[in-house]
Amino acid sequence: MLKVENLVAGYGKVQVLQDVSLEVPQGSLVTLIGSNGAGKTTTLRAVCGMIAAQSGRIMLDGAEITGLAPHQITRRGLAHSPEGRRVFPTLPVADNLLLGAFTRVTGSRPKGDVARDLDRMYAMFPRLAERRAQLAGTLSGGEQQMLAMARALMLAPLVLLLDEPSMGLAPRLVEEVFSIIARLKAERVTMLLVEQFAAAALDVADFGYVLENGRVTASGPAAALKNDPAVRAAYLGTAH
Amino acid sequence: MTSEYSMQVLAQLLVSGIAVGMIYGVIAFGYQLTFATSKTLNFGQGEALMLGSLVGLSVVTITGYWIMLPIVLAFGMIQGAVVERLGVRQAIKTKSEAGWIMATIALGIIFKNLAENIWGRDALKFPSPLPEAPLSFMGVNVLPMEVVIVFGALAMMLLVEVFNRRSIYGKAVVATANDRDAAGLMGINTSLVITFSYALSSMTAAFAGVLVAPVTLTGASMGGALGLKAFAVAIIGGLSSGMGVVVGGLILGITETLTGYYLSTGYKDVPGLVLLLLVLSLKPSGLFGSATIKKV
Ligand SMILES: Nc1ncnc2c1ncn2[C@@H]1O[C@H](COP(=O)(O)OP(=O)(O)O)[C@@H](O)[C@H]1O
Ligand SMILES: [Mg+2]
Repeated sequence: MLKVENLVAGYGKVQVLQDVSLEVPQGSLVTLIGSNGAGKTTTLRAVCGMIAAQSGRIMLDGAEITGLAPHQITRRGLAHSPEGRRVFPTLPVADNLLLGAFTRVTGSRPKGDVARDLDRMYAMFPRLAERRAQLAGTLSGGEQQMLAMARALMLAPLVLLLDEPSMGLAPRLVEEVFSIIARLKAERVTMLLVEQFAAAALDVADFGYVLENGRVTASGPAAALKNDPAVRAAYLGTAH
Repeated sequence: MTSEYSMQVLAQLLVSGIAVGMIYGVIAFGYQLTFATSKTLNFGQGEALMLGSLVGLSVVTITGYWIMLPIVLAFGMIQGAVVERLGVRQAIKTKSEAGWIMATIALGIIFKNLAENIWGRDALKFPSPLPEAPLSFMGVNVLPMEVVIVFGALAMMLLVEVFNRRSIYGKAVVATANDRDAAGLMGINTSLVITFSYALSSMTAAFAGVLVAPVTLTGASMGGALGLKAFAVAIIGGLSSGMGVVVGGLILGITETLTGYYLSTGYKDVPGLVLLLLVLSLKPSGLFGSATIKKV
């Protein structure tokens, strides 16, 4: 469904990604793990068009999306719950969710049943339902994370990118986030999950990639990666 | 001079001050619209007002007053979009701080020269859609057009607010103002939103131009002072606070007319500028605002 081939990208003259290739088959949950600064966020930013690829190809649903602007890529069905949540602070929760479906409401994606999907989000994230009229800027960090995920899901995306949904959350909330990811996986939502909690990510994922200094250094079925001695030493031994 | 008479004079001055202040307010509101989405301003906002007013003057003789209004609004939108495309877009793309300032000032000068060549340099009379005889309320004279200015300006600002809060496209504008990158991830074409906010901004200025013209006369040079004073109002009221500009506009409009009467018309422009300097040194985010003009 999503395919990244020999991606090279960075910021200005600084090249961060040297050569990244990965694949997210339809209906699967793929995780991209790696230490802080490895280039995980940069990979997602390049995939969704926020930064330009210097070379390489990005394919979504069989069509090339390399070089398109973020809004065009979203209109092709790629949703991104970005690092740092980036909810719209001066808008209520309900409007944040509605904007997740902006392309559906305005006709550049198949409309489906937006109202029903809103209800589904409120059922999946009950705390958002309680706070639907509250401004997003006044939510707690955990609630904002839920909102960022729900907002991305409102696209009814072909692929969902999740950038460290557990970042900065209390352990109980981290568990909640992972249980929601497991639930989305059961619903066969295609996902690329970036995580620093490598153990938890590999537990829930089908397949994993390890990123080091802008290069993929290991990959394989999640269970196999989890037992790989090198991966264990680098990411699981000292993991939380 | 009886005290009753002087109260009447004061009330009279307040009425004129409020009408002028609402004009400042609605132009300042236009500054806010583009600042919200792009952190840039159209320093040719006064010229957008002037062009709206002169185009209105030419159209009104053909179509009559009420059909002229939507034509001027549409013209304002196009003019604003042109300013954004020619003067602002590239500067935003290259993150040039000075680029958009120079470009919008330059475009303003070009528009003024253009207007001088088309409509001449003299002040022109703009036909009033309403009777020009003042109405009298308890001895205070109010021009019907002054009432239209106040309610027209309020209605324009209210409409934009309702659009932003209720429609999905308005919400896309607010989202772009909140976080441009995140708005892009929603599938919102944020470049188009910024163009649109310039269009809307010039549209409000053009509307202000046809509102004020029957009271003040129109002409190629009418924009400069109005644009500058409205800029002061936007700073006083805060570039990010919706209704702060109305209060700021009224403060400036009223102090100006009071100074003009009680001190001297020669000092009419001083109190507003003093107020501007005070606000800039004491509370740079404006009396009601939370964001400063410096890029964050
Ligand atoms: N906006 C930016 N401008 C310049 N360099 C950046 C920017 N964002 C990240 N980097 C650099 O790119 C590298 C990879 O960062 P990032 O992709 O955020 O890592 P990760 O998400 O894996 O922690 C780091 O060295 C970081 O300093
Ligand atoms: Mg990161």
